[in-house]
Amino acid sequence: MTESQLPSEPSGDASPAKPDSPRRRFWRRMFRNPLGVFSMIWFAILIVAWIWPELLATHDPFKQDVTLQRLYEGPSGDHWLGTDQFGRDFYSRVIHGAGLAFRSIIIAMTIAVGVGVPLGLFSGWRGGRLDRAIMWVNDVFFSLPIILLAMAVIIILNPSLDNAMIGVGIAMSTRFTRLTRAVTLQEKEELYVDSARITGLSTRTILSRYIAPNLMSSLIVQAAIISGAIILIGATLSFLGIGSSLDDPDWGVMLNRGRELFRVHGVWQIVPPGGALILTVLAFNLLGDAIRDAIGRDASNNALTITKRVSVAPASTSHAEGDDVVLSVRDMDVEFPGTDGRISQVLEGVSLDVRAGETLGVVGESGSGKSMTMLSALGLTPAPGRMTRGSVQFDGRDVTNLSEGEWQQIRGKDVGIIFQEPIAVLNPAIKVGKQIMEPLMIHMDMNRDEARARAAELLAEVRVPDPERRLDQYPHEFSGGMAQRVGIAMALACEPKLLIADEPSTALDVTVQGQILDLMAEVQQRRNMAIILITHDLGVIAEAADRVLVMYGGQVMETASAGDVFFNPKHPYSKALLDTMPQNHSGEGALAVIPGVVPSATAWPAGCRFAPRCAHAIDDCVTTMPPLEQVESDMVRCLRHGTDLVLADPAEADA
Amino acid sequence: MAKYIGIRVLATIPLLFAIAVVTFLIAVAMEANGSIAGQVCGEGATIECIAEVEESLGLNDPLPSRFVSWLGDVVQGDLGVSLLDRNAGVGELIGERIWPSLSIVGLSLIIGISLGMLMGIIAAIQPGGLVDRIFSITAASVIAAPGFLIGMMLSWGIGVELGWLSPIGYTPFGESVTGWFKSLILPSIALGMPTLAIVQRQLRSSMANALQSRYVLAARARGVGRATLIGRHALPNAMIPTITVIGFRAAAAIGLTTAIEIVFGIRGMGELLVTSILNRNVTVLQGGMLVVGLVVATVNLLVDISYGFLNPKVRLNK
Ligand code: SF4
Repeated sequence: MTESQLPSEPSGDASPAKPDSPRRRFWRRMFRNPLGVFSMIWFAILIVAWIWPELLATHDPFKQDVTLQRLYEGPSGDHWLGTDQFGRDFYSRVIHGAGLAFRSIIIAMTIAVGVGVPLGLFSGWRGGRLDRAIMWVNDVFFSLPIILLAMAVIIILNPSLDNAMIGVGIAMSTRFTRLTRAVTLQEKEELYVDSARITGLSTRTILSRYIAPNLMSSLIVQAAIISGAIILIGATLSFLGIGSSLDDPDWGVMLNRGRELFRVHGVWQIVPPGGALILTVLAFNLLGDAIRDAIGRDASNNALTITKRVSVAPASTSHAEGDDVVLSVRDMDVEFPGTDGRISQVLEGVSLDVRAGETLGVVGESGSGKSMTMLSALGLTPAPGRMTRGSVQFDGRDVTNLSEGEWQQIRGKDVGIIFQEPIAVLNPAIKVGKQIMEPLMIHMDMNRDEARARAAELLAEVRVPDPERRLDQYPHEFSGGMAQRVGIAMALACEPKLLIADEPSTALDVTVQGQILDLMAEVQQRRNMAIILITHDLGVIAEAADRVLVMYGGQVMETASAGDVFFNPKHPYSKALLDTMPQNHSGEGALAVIPGVVPSATAWPAGCRFAPRCAHAIDDCVTTMPPLEQVESDMVRCLRHGTDLVLADPAEADA
Repeated sequence: MAKYIGIRVLATIPLLFAIAVVTFLIAVAMEANGSIAGQVCGEGATIECIAEVEESLGLNDPLPSRFVSWLGDVVQGDLGVSLLDRNAGVGELIGERIWPSLSIVGLSLIIGISLGMLMGIIAAIQPGGLVDRIFSITAASVIAAPGFLIGMMLSWGIGVELGWLSPIGYTPFGESVTGWFKSLILPSIALGMPTLAIVQRQLRSSMANALQSRYVLAARARGVGRATLIGRHALPNAMIPTITVIGFRAAAAIGLTTAIEIVFGIRGMGELLVTSILNRNVTVLQGGMLVVGLVVATVNLLVDISYGFLNPKVRLNK
């Protein structure tokens, strides 16, 4: 099997002349990170000090000068960092100490990587009982203090920094074993999913081609941080007097010498070696962080939760009139600032109305902005996104600029939300009953016992068998269907005026789907509740919705009664969606799909956002954004609507 | 929960056995690298002396039977006598020295975990904000500094310059409780600072993840207030990885307290181990290693148990 037969696998050298190769991007990011630059400069100095200390040092690090005036000196023109108790030049000793620090790293790291990586690869690849045995032993060593393992080696051999580093290397190898094994397991799993890719390949090829590249970046990050730890431990052992010998210009030894003196002869005695130590370890840690950021793995740094309020530009159209309008949204824009300063507009001019007793279906492919519309309307825009324009009315009240505290009184009480992933939205650490009781206790002024009794009733209402017992269980003990019933019970707990259901049945199997939809319809009738039903499944819309809102690319494309959308769609996108329905698919063969993909919010087409995929697009569509136009009681956003556009029957379109 | 704890306790036994084997082998390896008996008898040792010592230590028996009889003694609490002072029982020596060490480690963990958690939570509420950035920079610098260096700075700054606390020394609990506590403050802060920084960093990042999760969004959609979101919804989940990190740090602190004790002139396990290494005092080392291993195993057990408290999946499935 030759390499060219594996087309789908990533290949680094296939495109050598690309201007923005991963390598180049990596270095660009490294140099843009001030902390990364600091650490690289510090390492440049250290490496010179290691390879050619005489170049930097001003004195012989061992030369003593015991004339009284020259002991315990502070910094001066001759001795830049002062002198120690033997009159030796601190600066030169610190410079020479760099070599010892690197020597420790090399010894310990060679052992750590040399033992840990092969062991982790073997253990992870091999799996089974041997893997478990290896990992058990590894974990025992992992849990022991590193200092203690180093001491053990020193005890057996003799006290010296090199011997200590053997122990440190063994201790650190456990970190590499764990890391390597984890990466190996993960890659192995992915490879077996795609087993065609590995048939016929030797283990060696798999390891070097698939696992090694993925391992490399994690290893480098880990190695940088562990190098810092090695220096710290080496310094501690030398400080204890069981590392470097007591004359060596080792930073730890200098601190050991200083420990008797600093209280008497001034704290300066520990500053030069201590400073060098801290800066070096810091540089290693920052280097590790900088590499990780430059590779682009860690996303936890931009984890904002509750968005700060920003001023919202007013809507240009007025809200729907009438006492029965529960939720009315006008001209809503939602923006996300990107990491590189560009702003992506995920929603543009979204308007919708829903009335009591009515079900509004919201359809569109994933990525069209359906869920974002609902979250933003309720002040739940995920950070760092924010609503920048528009107006929201809930139950006749302007809620556009409510604070989080004011929203808390509405959410859960007047509006309930059912989410798409029923298990992920339950807190794994809290009993299900407690979670159902939350809205009851917050909004209905119930005490614990009342809330619990009501929670059991609610579970019975959504037909969860044995509700009393279920209340005391944790989410992981629930199936998807049962968890979704819990979700419904929670959303309905306070008898809301509006229920928003975001793909409530998508993750569930077909029979459960039907039951969930029936359940919602039943409650709606009883309470005259408004429902917004978000789905990409037109079958669900046909079953449950009165009116339909079609979304694409963060915009409303069409609003219409359910009947009109099915029998007389006005927008090419609605028509394209209809054609993907299995019922409408005339021929045999694969289910129809709309060709192409939803564009990303960072790169909307300039004209009509559907133009690249639209079967009816004309030249104007590419350059002119169509406005949302009122057509009788409905809305359409298409340049060609009302002209000669005829949306063909699917059978004809196929022909 | 009782069943879970029982299983975890039983699972500690093989770990303890492994620690015993390693400790025993350390002594065996020491012999291979130079006669222990020679060490005891000193320079110019006579053959008789060496033979006598080897006999009394049972060094001539086959390894397995030596291990069994050593382990038998250990289980009964007999750790032998110091090679350098036949009147000093290793058990008593360690018994004297371990309390200062355990006190420092304990107080350092209390300081580090409580303040670290507090600061981690505060930072996670507004990631990228001013407070978060100040905390991050402080944590990064503290993690880069060895505890003994922080100890020296504290001893100089607060002890010598300000004179608020004694820069050196240790008061036993039996002598004066307040004196004991005062003498622990500086060493515990020195050892606890890196713990604080490590806990802060971990909790900040796992809290930030938890606050972004779907279940927190869903709780907000039920009208749950901010304090409950942070304290009841995000924190227990964020504590799971944090507990693991605390466990590693606690084990590390047991090793690192040696250097802190030496800074403050406290005669704890640190000084005992270091002098025994330099003197090649094998029985004391064996005993010391064993006791430290026992403490580490206990810490691991506590971590496992608290893990069960936080994570119902772990607790119920085992
Ligand atoms: S505006 Fe043009 S591209 Fe857009 S939907 Fe209408 S016909 Fe298609």
